[in-house]
Amino acid sequence: MRLASLTRLAAATSLLAMPGLAFAARAPQGGGLPWWAWPLILFVTTFLMGIVAVVGGIGGGVLFVPIVGGFFPFHLDFVRGAGLMLALCGALASGPGLLRSGLASLRLAMPLALAGSIGGIVGALVGLALPTRVVQLALGVTVLLIAGLMWWTRNSGHDSRHAADRWALALGLHGKFHDPAVGHHVDWNVHRTHMGLAAFFGIGVVGGLFGLGAGWANVPALNLLMGVPLKLSVGTSGLAISIINTSAAWVYMNKGALLPILIAPSILGVMLGARVGVRVLKAIKASTARNVVIVVLVAAGIRSLMQGFGF
Amino acid sequence: MPVSTPERRIEQETYARWLAWGVLLGFGALVGTFFLYVTGLVPAGVAPERLPQLWGMSVGDYLAATGAPTGWSWVLRLREGDLLNLVGVAILASVSIVCHLRVLPLFVRSRERVFVAVCIAQVVVLVAAAAGVF
Repeated sequence: MRLASLTRLAAATSLLAMPGLAFAARAPQGGGLPWWAWPLILFVTTFLMGIVAVVGGIGGGVLFVPIVGGFFPFHLDFVRGAGLMLALCGALASGPGLLRSGLASLRLAMPLALAGSIGGIVGALVGLALPTRVVQLALGVTVLLIAGLMWWTRNSGHDSRHAADRWALALGLHGKFHDPAVGHHVDWNVHRTHMGLAAFFGIGVVGGLFGLGAGWANVPALNLLMGVPLKLSVGTSGLAISIINTSAAWVYMNKGALLPILIAPSILGVMLGARVGVRVLKAIKASTARNVVIVVLVAAGIRSLMQGFGF
Repeated sequence: MPVSTPERRIEQETYARWLAWGVLLGFGALVGTFFLYVTGLVPAGVAPERLPQLWGMSVGDYLAATGAPTGWSWVLRLREGDLLNLVGVAILASVSIVCHLRVLPLFVRSRERVFVAVCIAQVVVLVAAAAGVF
């Protein structure tokens, strides 16, 4: 319960910091702050994002891109590249813990991540070719839709019984995991696998296009579409992100869209935050953290729309 | 109801172990090279003091203004502190490729053709992206 309160506090702190950052970012060259101040602010912001992102079952990029793109003085090209990298690294950092604890399934993640990583390449190439204003507007709409999706599905997590389909049987997508929150093992299998593969391709496209990562859609796709238990969906989503974002991140890197001064503090912050987030995930219900994420996303989405319209 | 077999636990634990080492290596390289960069111990190609005038530019304008490299040409300019940072980034972006290559023999040994194919396809996609094919 204390951990849940800390998560809410982290999100609230991020929200409270936004008006000040927006003011500074609008001023020439970041409000006259010295160059080294922005990496420091990025580090603190992304540390908080790392905690919230893992617990909410989303990639850090989905929070990073609209928040940093809206409230920091960096161009959206570099923000999207950094968003992909930090979502990737946050997922990488949490991956070993999720796999060892059984909260993520490698077998379940692998075929879905293959579809997602192909989509990620497509999205990254399109995103770097579109005008910034178009990307900004589309980003705002997408982030608000993500918040809406998370809101509508916040109470719809279910662990229903269903028969595995042929694809799932062929891939061996079944097993059991221990859920510390309920104190017993949960059996799981998968259905609608072909639809899940198509969904992950589409999620990869959107993620690569906006540098958002993909957890915001991975969890509903796994849980609601494919019937994977919610907690395993959250954990497996993190593992899938670590593979999916690799492909799009390489595209951004090869195009020169990774700015080191922005990348390193963001990655360090989100990786440290993700390690804290894994511990929080084991102790609280995922739905609690998702409500916090929704509030942050609405604020960031509105800011992106305002920027896209030139405000 | 089917349960996880020992083979499945082994592949998952192997992937987790290599992932953990890769992340540690990449994280270490990232921290180390960033320290060298921001302290000026390794002079940057684009001085940090110039960045507030540059980081609001689109990537195309930034590349034109600074002569920063694209593709893998940064490897030839590792004496520049800012580009040295990309070593850590490249390691972190390569970890999943290495992990897939490590579990591939496990799938081959257990004769799981579908997962062998998935594993190989994933490696091909990621290596192609890394090589700048797209």
